[in-house]
Amino acid sequence: MALENPLLPHIATITKVIDETPDVKTFQMVFDDPGVFDVFKQKPGQVAQISIFGVGEATISITSSPTRKGMLEFSIKKVGRLTSVIHQMEPGMKVGIRGPYGNHFPYEMMKGKDLLFIGGGIGLAPLRSLIDFVLAPENRQDYGKVEILYGARSSADLCFKYDLFDNWPRQPDTKVYVTIDRPEEGWDGHVGFVPAYLEELNPNPQNKVTITCGPPIMIKFVLQALEKMGYSEDQVVTTLELKMKCGIGKCGRCNIGSKFVCVDGPVFTLRELKKLPPEF
Amino acid sequence: MLKEKIKSTVTELLENKRIDFVIGYGAGSDAGTVRPAFVKSVEEVEQLIWSPFAVNNLAKFVMDHLYENIKIGVIVKGCDSRSVIRLVQDKVFPRENFYVIGVPCKGILDKNKVAKDFDLSGDLVDFTEQGDEVILKTSKGEFKLRKEDYLLDKCYRCETPTPVVYDVLLGEEVAPFRTDDYEDVKAIENLSVEEKSRYWDKQFEKCIRCYACRNVCSACNCRDCVFDMAEPNWVGKAANLSENTAFHLIRAWHVAGRCVDCGECSRVCPMGIPVNTLNRKMIKDMKELFAVETPGKNPEQGPVLGTFRTDDPEEFM
Amino acid sequence: MRKGYILKESFKTWLGAIKEKFPLIAPVQDDGLTLFKEVEKVDDIVLDYGITRMPPKDLFFPQTEKMFRIKNKNNVAIELESPEKVTDELVLFGVHSCDLKSILALDPVFTTRFPDRYYQERRDKTYVIGLSCTKALPTCFCTAYGINPTDADGADVHLTELGDKYLVEVVTERGEKLAAAIPGIIFEDTTNLEAEKAKLTEKVKGEIKFIDLTGVKEVLDENFELPLWEKWAQKCLGCGICTYVCPTCHCFDINDFNRGDGVGERFRCWDSCMFSDFTRMAGGHNPRPTKKERVRNRFMHKLKYHLDRYNIVGCVGCGRCVQRCPENIDIRAIISDIKGGV
Ligand SMILES: Cc1cc2nc3c(=O)[nH]c(=O)nc-3n(C[C@H](O)[C@H](O)[C@H](O)COP(=O)(O)OP(=O)(O)OC[C@H]3O[C@@H](n4cnc5c(N)ncnc54)[C@H](O)[C@@H]3O)c2cc1C
Ligand code: SF4
Ligand code: SF4
Ligand code: SF4
Ligand code: SF4
Ligand code: SF4
Ligand code: FES
Repeated sequence: MALENPLLPHIATITKVIDETPDVKTFQMVFDDPGVFDVFKQKPGQVAQISIFGVGEATISITSSPTRKGMLEFSIKKVGRLTSVIHQMEPGMKVGIRGPYGNHFPYEMMKGKDLLFIGGGIGLAPLRSLIDFVLAPENRQDYGKVEILYGARSSADLCFKYDLFDNWPRQPDTKVYVTIDRPEEGWDGHVGFVPAYLEELNPNPQNKVTITCGPPIMIKFVLQALEKMGYSEDQVVTTLELKMKCGIGKCGRCNIGSKFVCVDGPVFTLRELKKLPPEF
Repeated sequence: MLKEKIKSTVTELLENKRIDFVIGYGAGSDAGTVRPAFVKSVEEVEQLIWSPFAVNNLAKFVMDHLYENIKIGVIVKGCDSRSVIRLVQDKVFPRENFYVIGVPCKGILDKNKVAKDFDLSGDLVDFTEQGDEVILKTSKGEFKLRKEDYLLDKCYRCETPTPVVYDVLLGEEVAPFRTDDYEDVKAIENLSVEEKSRYWDKQFEKCIRCYACRNVCSACNCRDCVFDMAEPNWVGKAANLSENTAFHLIRAWHVAGRCVDCGECSRVCPMGIPVNTLNRKMIKDMKELFAVETPGKNPEQGPVLGTFRTDDPEEFM
Repeated sequence: MRKGYILKESFKTWLGAIKEKFPLIAPVQDDGLTLFKEVEKVDDIVLDYGITRMPPKDLFFPQTEKMFRIKNKNNVAIELESPEKVTDELVLFGVHSCDLKSILALDPVFTTRFPDRYYQERRDKTYVIGLSCTKALPTCFCTAYGINPTDADGADVHLTELGDKYLVEVVTERGEKLAAAIPGIIFEDTTNLEAEKAKLTEKVKGEIKFIDLTGVKEVLDENFELPLWEKWAQKCLGCGICTYVCPTCHCFDINDFNRGDGVGERFRCWDSCMFSDFTRMAGGHNPRPTKKERVRNRFMHKLKYHLDRYNIVGCVGCGRCVQRCPENIDIRAIISDIKGGV
């Protein structure tokens, strides 16, 4: 019998495309062979390699929660070759998926804690898998208060508006704070950068874990702000982005020191992050 | 001695703050090898050496300092000086940011040729030249050899043993050894079409696409190289005869009329591919077609294929 | 381990018998280079070579490997054709001890956690015959890593030339199959041969300048920033030579070849952390933006990261990078700088 081949993608069909922002779309996908769902058991925070055959692959976070069965969602920002091609694809079209790869958010360790999610731009995509996991009725009682702080350049650049303004605020013990970088006509919400808004809100670190993802510059200032507010290095969890190819610890591309982000990450606590050389 | 002249010149330049640093030669792992030395202070001047094996062309290293307000001293032999012209003409690195320390060159020894007859595995302690003989004093013994028997192929045919551009010249001008008759190119021209194709297929097949030939080349000075582009993907990353051939032919055309015939591409190739011979074919043809000189030899003459002349022959029209 | 000897005069007959059964890959002279290639005649094999120009890793991890064929009709109908078989069984002959060790250093990368189908199959189907060195080159420094130039570690069968005989060490079960290619050709008696092998080991070791690695890993564990990185990086061309000639480098890229009509293939090919675009991301951010970070990464990987991850050396002291680097960036000199903490 031929050996299993981790580099061979499973074929999947796009079942739904949601326009999130001018350059972000969310793709819902279903494996053509439903049996794949039984082996593809992702955990919140894991990623997959999405293939367009003849174009290549890209590493994309699985943004849907594992509690939502029978499909996977990926929110993809158009930045280069593959991401531009996928933006032209429609329901019914086929892609490849392999994974799930990477570690995952430490949702076991987070049990009984209040959670503060801090996201910027497309960085909300990986967080969303954990938010929806935690808010799922079967898990909700395991976690305390959920707060979500999210920002984007403008209101048009906000991803997952249906979650931000509808689904999430309706959940018990859940608060959503949204901000945009610059004032805008018709926007009566908060204006300012995420780190500044965070300092304004000044959330108490008591029994709390924060999970953050966004552009490198946002992460940098958010981490600084959190330390200032007294969060310990173990209370701060982030997820990194490095160029990846294989996703399975072989191609050598995603290393930070001795760690491979694709298998040892992408999720790190601030304590772990500080032990790594500053090459990310 | 040249080594002392280099050191005193560089010391003075650094002391008077006329340059920020100098790129010269330092001792390598064995007697037949040198290693680039970047000397920033007077204390470091001791590292500088001169060696009859000083083959590396150092001019391109200035490209790590683009757009800096800087003055870099570079030690150049005759062939390397053409690279300075190349970088200046291509507006990659301004002439005024160079301080060119010219070394009139009596030919560089080919370490592979010498190693066949002598043990070069020791350190080079010293060397002396007497007439056409060199005595190499190494930690593994002293060797006397007739220089003419062991020069790099390119040195026998060098057109500009004295640098064509310099701010200071460390020594007397030297005359060319003999004229370049393009024997290597003619040998291939004389093959039949099938033989030629077999010859180059064999060479290109060996290529491992390490891009050392490109990276060392002073004519390969583009900010974004076509071979690094994924979109459009001009040449695939797969190493196979078809992609390798595309790589070599495209590169030959990209440097055509700009290749200064320094020979570095052939030297660095880990697979022994005579990369430079392709470019020399271009130079030979251009000399015949357009009556030009080897690029970089004449600072007044720009790249042939980038120059428009109303009296150009237009045989193809 | 079973040991014995084969007479030099029957040695080629034995190899010939092996070649009857399997494709035989061995060092041969090819256009001026010594390379591992499929041999046409046993006589073409170069037995007294110093080091091959390219390492044997190509046999397990080819520079370019087709992974599967793609038929893509406008992204609505996709067919992927994964090869049923990656390779036939073959015999790789004449691998020196450093290169044998390098295969052992690659194994954990490709065969643990998400085992790599291509590597695994090639590895499973390749019989490796090692060959002790009888001389060392000035660039050899295997002994720095505790490798003896006559070590059999990593071979299925290992040979050592001793006078008119070859000492044959059958290291693995698989090796038995090769040893049995001609029944009776290997004599069980090894009287004196082991002592002679020990003598040869000492002789060759004596030709190698010993590089003492004491303290190197410790310095690197404690210091990410050292002035030596900038010093060496400024001399570097950022080419792929040192990583492509290295028997333990395993980095690759994955790309699709597209004929234009939906038919194509996905392949992987060697890549190098010395290339400027290796870690450059869409949008331009590059965690290793200059030669300094890239040179540091390579040597850290060779001397620290690989050890950290897999508890096996990341450099085997073959000296190929030293021989081929156009600017003479010499890992031995870097080791000495690291020890000096400069
Ligand atoms: C752990 C992780 C999670 C990610 N999650 C998401 C997500 O949820 N949504 C999203 O839109 N993007 C995400 N990205 C970024 C995404 O992978 C890149 O934007 C994408 O690979 C760019 O591909 P391209 O072909 O369009 O760009 P090109 O610039 O044409 O890239 C060519 C190739 O380089 C590699 N590459 C380039 N940039 C990156 C990068 N930033 N990260 C990884 N590989 C890269 C890819 O292999 C890509 O195919 C994630 C990256 C990582 C590492
Ligand atoms: S192509 Fe070769 S010979 Fe010509 S300038 Fe470049 S490196 Fe020198
Ligand atoms: S240096 Fe040689 S092997 Fe490397 S890319 Fe150039 S021709 Fe190919
Ligand atoms: S071979 Fe030498 S010049 Fe090329 S990348 Fe390696 S160290 Fe740098
Ligand atoms: S780093 Fe150099 S010496 Fe070490 S194994 Fe690789 S090529 Fe050989
Ligand atoms: S040294 Fe560089 S190319 Fe080689 S395995 Fe390590 S990261 Fe990859
Ligand atoms: S993506 Fe290949 S090793 Fe991490």
